[in-house]
Parts: sequence; C-alpha cells; structure tokens
Amino acid sequence: MSIEELAFLALAVVALVTAVAALLVRELVHTILWIGVFFVDLSAIYFLLEAPFLGVLQLGVYAGAVTVLLLFGIMVTRKRIFSREAATGIGAVPFALAAVTFIFAVAAVGELPQTSQPVRAYDPTLLSENLFGTNGPWLLLLGLIMMAAVAGSIYLVREGRE
Amino acid sequence: MTDLPIVGFVGLSTALLAVGLFGILTRRNFILILIAIEIAMNATILNFVYFGAFSGGAGGLSGQAIAVVLIGFAATEVAVGLAIVLALNRLKGTINVAQATDLKL
Repeated sequence: MSIEELAFLALAVVALVTAVAALLVRELVHTILWIGVFFVDLSAIYFLLEAPFLGVLQLGVYAGAVTVLLLFGIMVTRKRIFSREAATGIGAVPFALAAVTFIFAVAAVGELPQTSQPVRAYDPTLLSENLFGTNGPWLLLLGLIMMAAVAGSIYLVREGRE
Repeated sequence: MTDLPIVGFVGLSTALLAVGLFGILTRRNFILILIAIEIAMNATILNFVYFGAFSGGAGGLSGQAIAVVLIGFAATEVAVGLAIVLALNRLKGTINVAQATDLKL
C-alpha cells in the first residue's frame, strides 16, 4: 500500500468519524467544532486529489465562512451557548433507509474495479479558463442566485416583520 | 503521479451521503439539519472532484468547475437556511422543527 493510499484511508476514516460525531454529540457548539474538522479533512482530500484550488476554496468557504456562520446562528438563537440538546432516538424509518443505503453501497462498491488508478492533476489556469470561458454563463447565473439569496435572507430577518 | 483506488472514494461519498440522510431524517434542531444537508452536499461535491480527477480530458476539468459552483451554492444555502432559523426563532422562540407546524392543515 502506497503512502497516498494510506493517507486517503486515514482521511476517509477521520471524515466519517467527524461527520457522525457532529450529528451525535449533545452540545451544538461541539457539533460546530466537529464539522469544522470535517471540512478541513475534506479539503485535505481535495489536495490529495491534486485539486489545490478546490482545497483552498473548501478551507475558505466551508471551514471558514460556513462554520462561523453556523456559530453565529447558534449564538443568536440560544440564551446559553453551551446548552444540551434533548436526546432523540433513531426512528424505524430512518434506520431502515440508512441500512438500505448501506447495503446498496456495499453492493455497488463490490462491482467497481479494486485497482488503483492514476489521479490527473489540472493546472489552475486551465480550470479558470474552463470556469470563466466554457462555463462562464453558469458562473454568472450562480452570482445572480447568490444575490437573490442575500436579498431573500435580508427580507426574512428584517425588523418589524411578523 | 499519485495512484488511488476509485472504490475508496465511491465508498466514502456514499457513506457520507448516508450519514447526511440519517441526520436530516432524525434530528429536530434546524441547525443540525442544516449541518446534515452540508455533509450530504459535501459527499456530492467530492463525487464531482474525484470522477474529474480520475477521468482525462476536458470532462475532468468540468468536474472541478462544477464543484466550484456547487461550493458557492452550498454557502448560499447555509445563508438562507440561517435566515430561516432566525425567522423561526423570532416567531416560535425555538428552532425545533417539530414545532414549526403553521403550514399543517
């Protein structure tokens, strides 16, 4: 097993453990800490996949902005920041759905080739050409949607709206 | 050149999707549901990135370009979600989705 495969294995285990821990811990602030580790771990996976631009974007947008945004969300909606959530049991339907997904995953993984394949690195210059050239209209559409989302968010939280 | 097994990535993203699905279906706190959606969304983005990395040509590059756009969408979705959290908190005094039943008949 090569060093890259070992690194991927370690990162994958950390990603799964932190994702599960984020949803199962009782204190919401600890959830944010776990999800922060999860985002940083995923950015490491992007670096491993030779996609450094996406790795940096993941660090900036997810590990930075989204984590802080979620922390603010907790801060303004609770009287005490470190207050515990009520424990919720796992219902039969969610458990069955998760089990079915898991069985399908195992079956699908068994069908795939088990050998290692080369990872292709792309020049960030080519990526920006693709992003702003070929997919330029989609990027503009993304900007428009984000602007509409900001306007909608401000409308939702503005004072005096009941 | 780095060699990695594609099967591991497929397994990881499917497992992350399952974890996200589990969170969406079982948690009652709106912020926890948002976080579960983010986990599922990250599984999707990871899909685009590794299939892009394992395929050659312009198709692979498009995978990364779509991932960039998706990261933007996900950030937008969190912003709108938190605005809904704030509105719900102001209206109900709680962010438990079980109590947000105003649209029920």
